[in-house]
Amino acid sequence: MATRSRRLGAGVAAALTVALVAGCGGGSEADSADNAGSGEKAAATGGTLRAAFAGGASETLNYLQGPTALDYVRAKLVHAPLCELDPQAEDGVSYRVLESIDVSDDLGEYTLKVRSGVKFSDGSDLTSKDVLYSLQAPTLLQGLPFTQLVSRGFDLKKASAPDASTVVLPTLAPIADGRDLICQSMLAIKDGTKEFTPETPSSGPFRITGFEAGRSTTLARSDSYYGQAPTLDAIELVSIADPTARVNALQQGQVDYISGIAPAQAQTLEGADGVSVTSSELPYASYLQFGMNPQTKPFDDERVREAFKLAVDRDRIVKNVYFGRAFVGNDVPGMGFPTYDTELEQRAHDPRKAQQLLAEAGAEGMEVELTAGPEMPGMLETATLIVEDLKAIGVKATLNELPAGQLFTDYPAYQKLPFKAGYNPPATFEPNYTPGTFPEVDALVATARSAPSKEDRLTASHEAQKLLWKEGSQIGAVFVPSISAAREGVSGVRELQFPDLAQATVSE
Amino acid sequence: MRLLPWIAVRVAMLAVSLTVLSVLVFWATEVLPGDAVGAVSGPEATDAERAAVRVSLGLDRPAPERFLKWAGAVLRGDLGTSMVSNRDVGEILTERAGASLAVVIPAAVLILLFAGGLGIWAGLRAGSRLDRWLTGSTLALVGTPDFLIATALLLVFTLWWPVLPAVAIVPLGQSLWQHPDLIALPALALALGGFGSTMRLLRASVTQTTSTPYAEFARLNGVRGARYVRTIVTNAAGPAVHAFTIMTAGLLGGGIVVETLFNVPGLGYELARAVATRDVPAVQGLSLTLGAATLLILLAGDLAVRLLNRGKEAS
Repeated sequence: MATRSRRLGAGVAAALTVALVAGCGGGSEADSADNAGSGEKAAATGGTLRAAFAGGASETLNYLQGPTALDYVRAKLVHAPLCELDPQAEDGVSYRVLESIDVSDDLGEYTLKVRSGVKFSDGSDLTSKDVLYSLQAPTLLQGLPFTQLVSRGFDLKKASAPDASTVVLPTLAPIADGRDLICQSMLAIKDGTKEFTPETPSSGPFRITGFEAGRSTTLARSDSYYGQAPTLDAIELVSIADPTARVNALQQGQVDYISGIAPAQAQTLEGADGVSVTSSELPYASYLQFGMNPQTKPFDDERVREAFKLAVDRDRIVKNVYFGRAFVGNDVPGMGFPTYDTELEQRAHDPRKAQQLLAEAGAEGMEVELTAGPEMPGMLETATLIVEDLKAIGVKATLNELPAGQLFTDYPAYQKLPFKAGYNPPATFEPNYTPGTFPEVDALVATARSAPSKEDRLTASHEAQKLLWKEGSQIGAVFVPSISAAREGVSGVRELQFPDLAQATVSE
Repeated sequence: MRLLPWIAVRVAMLAVSLTVLSVLVFWATEVLPGDAVGAVSGPEATDAERAAVRVSLGLDRPAPERFLKWAGAVLRGDLGTSMVSNRDVGEILTERAGASLAVVIPAAVLILLFAGGLGIWAGLRAGSRLDRWLTGSTLALVGTPDFLIATALLLVFTLWWPVLPAVAIVPLGQSLWQHPDLIALPALALALGGFGSTMRLLRASVTQTTSTPYAEFARLNGVRGARYVRTIVTNAAGPAVHAFTIMTAGLLGGGIVVETLFNVPGLGYELARAVATRDVPAVQGLSLTLGAATLLILLAGDLAVRLLNRGKEAS
């Protein structure tokens, strides 16, 4: 009886498995046949790159309001940038749709020259009116704060386009770093654009052929692009929210390129066949910092702040959390950008001196809670190590671990926290500095942004950085690059703040 | 004939429950620290920019006013727009419900087949080796987290024996339904994680029924084979049907781990995201839909049990 039922049971299970696999196997065979077909066709003409990003249901074609990295990656393929930050270039920026940006001697007016021969996908010429509108659009269309950078430095209401190739931008107050503001993330859109659909005229190397939020975008090479024509015929941007799922998709060959992977996953992928892992170079690394609130005790004491900075073992963080894929920070933002002060002495890991400073400040055995969340790869892990480091110098430190998405939702409360994790995307120091805590630094940064001579500006900037290094309230522990992986045969991806796929190539 | 009034009362209760649910969910998102302004603004925004975002989202208005405005729009069939992406909540909902159903319906069918077949089998042969083996292995399955089941399936079907795609990537313009190969693994993962409890309940209930005098009487009267099984099952299925409906309702919003790992983000995943970003209109729309679906599935389960019992009374 027992044997019979066992045999039958096994038979049923086997039958079910066969039916299931047969049912599904058919589909997958047909599918892979399709893929192979399109792959062969593509290889002859330039190919299709399938790239996966986090994306999600909140994706939108409106780059001014797009909350995900994918939105900006897509937008930059579709709409040409006005100019881009470029630490190697003479002005610190390289020009795209714009031909040049000139600053008046009093630093009160910027003149933008528009490149001739730039066309939109509807055949019309891109003129100064379009550039002016592109700069005003973040305000007019209620763009996200990161797109509002230009309006923080320029009086956009008084901006004008005196002729077809010139835009004149008056500043709110004299600034020397206006190019950084204009070139950090501004893309060229057509005058009067209010809605962003696949049909919206665009100026970039690719045009949209299909889009479904949270699923994928298909892009085809645009024939009207003014610049170097892309090699790729098409790009498919696939939305895969989970990093593990992205890695699985790459390993199984469902996509050719993935972005935004965790350091531990990069470590695993590194050994895999046919896959290469890349991380972005400086300055394209996010600044992971831990802020001490100088308005709360005992962080009002400079010695306590210094003790905390000395207590942190940065090399251990780079090694253990990021497996070497990070840069040791020196408590000052903007590493890798031209005005970053490379002469500053690297902060040492000196627990003994830290202990001594705490004793001098009368803060031995102080209690502190570090608030952190998984807002960027390794933030929580780094916070854990910092808590350990602090315990090692006798501080009663604890970690307050928040769930994803929680850290910045209540911003005023976040600002009041005595000790918290935070990060800044790669950007130059001066225009992104928030004044209000250290009056002396505020004044120096103002000089660094507005002094007439370049030398004076640089000197003031370095002075400000020196002061921040010495007295500042941030433990700038590490700079974290973005990590991506690609299958063999993919090349030409520029790893900037977000990956730029415009000049990528694929081969079989 | 008492069936129709019973259904009417249940549907009315459903409407009341949903209304209460909408108030509760709104209140809960209100009580959570922070609002969508933080999620939308990012860490670099200035205070003035934050204030502007707050006004543009309408979050500067008092909570009751916002709720009534939202409720009024819902009564007109407008679920509002997401605070984070400005997309129509109804649109997001249709997309996510589609993904959820594409995975949950096949999973529910698998559970019905596995749990039904094996539960009856084991119940009729209580104490046999198969029964003991099933009891043990289902207990292990019930105790295994979704994450492990999904990972094991990925290991087997995409690495060792690569016959299925690891991640669901649906071509534009097509629906997940057209790709059974993409549905197979997530559905199987949900089914394996969920069928244990239903099967065990059915097995226990069948075993119990076989030892009732009623069943013995049927056996003594020469009732055999399919007729005997039907007699037992119609009498034993009640508790298992309840367990099955509760579990299926749970899968609709609760399969987040499986949805995430196989990239079929459904209602539950989207709800978690909406809560994290304090996207109130999306939270409201998603939780109401999930609530309504759950109550409807439970209603269907109750109805099925009632019909089963009616059949029993009649025979």
